[in-house]
Amino acid sequence: MELLLILKNEALKLVKKTRAWLGPILIFILIMVAFPLTVELTSNNLSDAFYPVLFISILLVMMLATEDIFLEDYEDGTLELFFISEKSLSQWVFLKIFMHWLFIGVPISLLGAFFNIGANNDLASSLMLFPALLIATYIFLILFCFGNSLSLTKGSVLGTLITLPLTLPILVVLGKLNTAIIFNISYFEFLILLFGILSIIIFAFPAIISRIIKTHLE
Amino acid sequence: MLREILIIVIKKFIHQFASPKTYFYQVNRLYPWLLYISLSIYVFAIIWGLFFTPKDFVQGHSYRIIYFHVPASFIAQSLYAAMAISSAVFLIWRVKLAAYLARSIAPVGAMVTFIALASGSIWGIPTWGTWWEWDARITSTLILFIMYLGLISLHNSFNNFDKADKLFSYLSIIGFVQIPIIKKSVDWWSSLHQPASITISDKPSIDPSMLYPLFMAMIGFAGLVACIVILSSKVQIYIREKNKNWVKDYV
Repeated sequence: MELLLILKNEALKLVKKTRAWLGPILIFILIMVAFPLTVELTSNNLSDAFYPVLFISILLVMMLATEDIFLEDYEDGTLELFFISEKSLSQWVFLKIFMHWLFIGVPISLLGAFFNIGANNDLASSLMLFPALLIATYIFLILFCFGNSLSLTKGSVLGTLITLPLTLPILVVLGKLNTAIIFNISYFEFLILLFGILSIIIFAFPAIISRIIKTHLE
Repeated sequence: MLREILIIVIKKFIHQFASPKTYFYQVNRLYPWLLYISLSIYVFAIIWGLFFTPKDFVQGHSYRIIYFHVPASFIAQSLYAAMAISSAVFLIWRVKLAAYLARSIAPVGAMVTFIALASGSIWGIPTWGTWWEWDARITSTLILFIMYLGLISLHNSFNNFDKADKLFSYLSIIGFVQIPIIKKSVDWWSSLHQPASITISDKPSIDPSMLYPLFMAMIGFAGLVACIVILSSKVQIYIREKNKNWVKDYV
């Protein structure tokens, strides 16, 4: 019951603060619409450049989405309240990240798969890409939340700087997955690898982030 | 009974050595020995490697940068592991000396990683025909360098040392995930960089005439880097313990 209440609160906060979720989605759309203008308009060039641009723009958008994810709660005393009370901070972090993913990660994954149809004229590859994007957006979101929790009061630039190196292995796996989709080879191995990474960090990182937040509050 | 006495002795030893004061005086005694022995080993290894080993069948004389590049690459990764272990010790047992050590390793690690990258670039010209290639091993080493810089910036951005140490420790432990990636990058991805020539499980693929000076260079280089870590840790102790009487007396 309490979990549902936290989820509802987080959803309400996001609904009220449109900029926090609509902004990143609109930026993603703008990047995906603008990038063909920078490529010579032959279909080969477009489809070659599509995947790298898609993955990098997802990375940037997730970075923007988490820019001040904990700052407002830190400033208005919500975090302190959790710290003083017996309530689990890691549970709250988990639900907050999950709600952000529902509002930002899922639409962006859907849009990414949709843009893939436009760039490659291939529905099958979009259906393969969609679950990978769902997982990748969640992983990026968690990693950037970790970075922003470290630099909670010091601005998001520092958080991004220290988290970006951690996201690069994920980008490498996404690159491999992209090759697997294009050449129709061993796609599930990379999807399972991404899922494996997610299944570890989805539970471990909220606990670590809550410890970090507690360090800030001490 | 014997076991309990042993535990007490070990605890007492750890407790004493974990004190910055004891560490400071112990490393002061160790430092000159370590410096001169490591320097002698490294100079001997370099002379042996540069003048008394045969030239490589394919690379000619250019391979001799191996006596600089390989120790630097190996130590760059080892330093990160040491920093992550120190951070874990600090977070688990609250040993503040471990936090000082972790923080003092970061700039040395960044410097050694830069040396590894620069020497690799110089080696790249005669062997690959390019200074830089976006290859798995080189890129992951560059990420390691950025990681070191990120850790230093994170620590420097907080005035409260205790908070900075804790946040630094969390990040360095999480960042350790990069080390196996760097190590295995040449096996997992098709890479311009050659696979590891020295492994635990297989026989080294380098001829013994080149291998022995390389081993010596690695030992000497590790000793020299340990000396720099000692100096860096002493600086950290000066900064953190500056109000303690023993530091004032020492200075």
